[in-house]
Amino acid sequence: MNYPVWDVPGVGGPWVIGIISIFHVLIAWFAVGGGIYLPYAERKLYREGREEWLPVLKKHSRMFLVLTGVFGAVSGVGIWFAIGLVQPEATSTLIHNFVFGWAIEWVFFVIELAAAAVYYYTWDRIPRELHLKVGWLYAISSFLTLVIINGILSFMMTPSQAWLNVAGTGTEASQFWAAFFNPTYFPSLFMRTLACLSLAGIYALITYGRVTDEALQATRTVMVRWSAKWLIPMALLLPVGLGWMYVTMEPESREIMSLGFSTIGSGLFTQVTRISMMTVLTTVTVAGAVYFFAFLFPRDLTAGHAFALLGLAAIATSSTEYARETIRKPYVIQEHMYSNSIRMNEVEKYNTEGYLVNSKWNPPQMEPVAKGEAMFRGQCMSCHTRSGYRSMERLLQKRDRKAIDQLLQTLHDFEPDSPYRKYMPPLVGTQDERDSLAVYLEKLSLGKTEPALALNAAR
Amino acid sequence: MKLETLKADLVERLGLEEAIKLAGKKTVPVHKHTFWYFWGGISLFSFLIQVVTGILLMVYYRPGPEAYESVRQITYQIQFGWLIRSVHNWSANFFLFSVFVHMFSVFLMKAYRRPREVGWYSGIALLLLGLTFGFSGYLLPMDELSFFATKVGMEIPNAIPIIGPPIANLLRGGLEVNEFTVQRFFALHVVILPLLYMPLLGLHLWMVQKHGNAAPPSEEAKEPSQRKTMPFFPNFVAQDLGVWLIVLNLISLLAALFPWQLGPQADPLAAAPEGIHPEWYFMSQFAMLKLIGRVIPGLAGEAAAMTLFTLGLVLWAMIPVFDKDKTNTKRSRQVLYFGIFVILVLLSTTFMGFVI
Repeated sequence: MNYPVWDVPGVGGPWVIGIISIFHVLIAWFAVGGGIYLPYAERKLYREGREEWLPVLKKHSRMFLVLTGVFGAVSGVGIWFAIGLVQPEATSTLIHNFVFGWAIEWVFFVIELAAAAVYYYTWDRIPRELHLKVGWLYAISSFLTLVIINGILSFMMTPSQAWLNVAGTGTEASQFWAAFFNPTYFPSLFMRTLACLSLAGIYALITYGRVTDEALQATRTVMVRWSAKWLIPMALLLPVGLGWMYVTMEPESREIMSLGFSTIGSGLFTQVTRISMMTVLTTVTVAGAVYFFAFLFPRDLTAGHAFALLGLAAIATSSTEYARETIRKPYVIQEHMYSNSIRMNEVEKYNTEGYLVNSKWNPPQMEPVAKGEAMFRGQCMSCHTRSGYRSMERLLQKRDRKAIDQLLQTLHDFEPDSPYRKYMPPLVGTQDERDSLAVYLEKLSLGKTEPALALNAAR
Repeated sequence: MKLETLKADLVERLGLEEAIKLAGKKTVPVHKHTFWYFWGGISLFSFLIQVVTGILLMVYYRPGPEAYESVRQITYQIQFGWLIRSVHNWSANFFLFSVFVHMFSVFLMKAYRRPREVGWYSGIALLLLGLTFGFSGYLLPMDELSFFATKVGMEIPNAIPIIGPPIANLLRGGLEVNEFTVQRFFALHVVILPLLYMPLLGLHLWMVQKHGNAAPPSEEAKEPSQRKTMPFFPNFVAQDLGVWLIVLNLISLLAALFPWQLGPQADPLAAAPEGIHPEWYFMSQFAMLKLIGRVIPGLAGEAAAMTLFTLGLVLWAMIPVFDKDKTNTKRSRQVLYFGIFVILVLLSTTFMGFVI
């Protein structure tokens, strides 16, 4: 491990990424979907002479600019900070492979931001045709940011065999396109585009729910119903997207999913199946609730209803993202890097040379407890916390030293039939290091250790 | 076209015109507090979920000595049994939560005033029956937690002066909680309580239909021309359906993510597990018993706590008698302060119940 560990008590590091990401995705997808919605609505306005739509669309474009330009942009940078701190090794791998892709994304992002500002500030100030062109420029550039980031995100789930063949050789970038257009690239793009269009409809309902001016009620009614239709693609094509995703996944991931589905009846189904169920159920609920709240009687829609829909969309989005993370386990980059930043091809080296001697940010001499804590921070804390989320104190269930030793041995052996293998990486390190971890975990299990105390003393 | 003909035929044969006309008469006030009108509907919907899932559970549940084993089979062996049981339990909790929200929103909107007193009284009775549903249902799995929680919970009726102990013995089928108690609680849960509940629910719903939703005092103060309404049918019903769909979604998510577990079989001879307490909806009474017990130890303390609680409940139920008219008098303000005091006491004692 080349980097220091960021110790986040309570929620743990992954949830720092998770919370920022969910917030960001809810806005970023709106930035893409809403970017298509606005010029499309404007085009409809001009073609069908719906002049009464103009004040409402202006209002919507203001919310769009503030949300995407401020909150979307800031939270996007927030993700960079968070992944850099929580998963520096994986972030480094991604940058080394996709620096060119990210540079292009940045260009599209700058165009997107500039176009959004120009679009909002030039209503009625430049010729209508030109204004519409600015809108389409925005739509295309924001969609292209999705096209690029989707390549990088789906790469982490299915990096492609061509890339895996050269991984660790220093020539990974030669397989840029294979890694980028990886097996799950197109189904992911398809699903994300559907989500973007749905969010465009939901956010539009938020704007229209806030239009209280009596004179605009008839217009509002038409626009609410038109916006509700933006959820139809998701409602109809969700099964197609999920099926497509399923057939392109890694066989191991597919196995976890099918095992999960086949055991739903007995109630023993896997966490990932439960979460996937949340996605499907909540998406159907969103579609149904939009029908009842907005489509059936558009006049009765309020901002409260629209915010409830957004809340449901947040549940659907976060559960999808959570499912994606869970399916990828025990890897952060499938078949290449485990979720605790250890590369598959480094396991042997760490087992013979030792994990801690290869971790640059630890003191050279440490007492067993401090050594154990350093092992814990390096290999466990990317998923577990001491006493918060996935608490080790709780999970150890007051196990004694012998039971802890057995558990660690199972994790170290990483046998094909190990029950932990599907979601936990192997424990690496020399016998001495693993013993030190056991000493530390025993203290944790019995609630006898103060956070970070031993390691700080060693420093 | 055929569908239209069928619809017309049905309307004619079943006399639906009158029902539609009646439904169309009712309007729902539209204002910034309209959200609270959904909670009665949410309570009703979660009750209906319990009826359906409860009937399904009855197919496999066996009260008496085999109670635990049958729930174990439902939870771990019968296909989708875990789902039905979890949905039943989560919707029960959701039901009581929404009933509380509904009651307090009705209180704060002063919807108990003339002519809606019967709605209030029947609502209070439904709440008490709902709590008894919860209490009787909680024991049925007969696992360690439900056994000891019921044992502890029985201290509440037991503490009622004079009549308390005989009532507690009658409910238990003796001095201790055992399989006879399960049998009695089951009969109570699936026969007696529904028999009492259904007609009362019918009356309650009829009252809502008859008098409509009450607007809060701030809305009443407006000129009639400035007040907004929407037809109950079909507009508000559509919104209700949307909300019900969300509730169903939430209950399904809770059931899938946090399926109801079954603890070890109850062992009456074993010591009670640490920190045993009744369900959250009885926590306030439980905490009061404990708190007052610290000041006045022994039976006298229990009796004092129960008297206080019963008195509070009676006062709460009698609110329409004190605050009758649509005028904002000193008395109506006093009732409002009393209500806020009750809400604060319930919340704080419930919280204390979990920590003390």
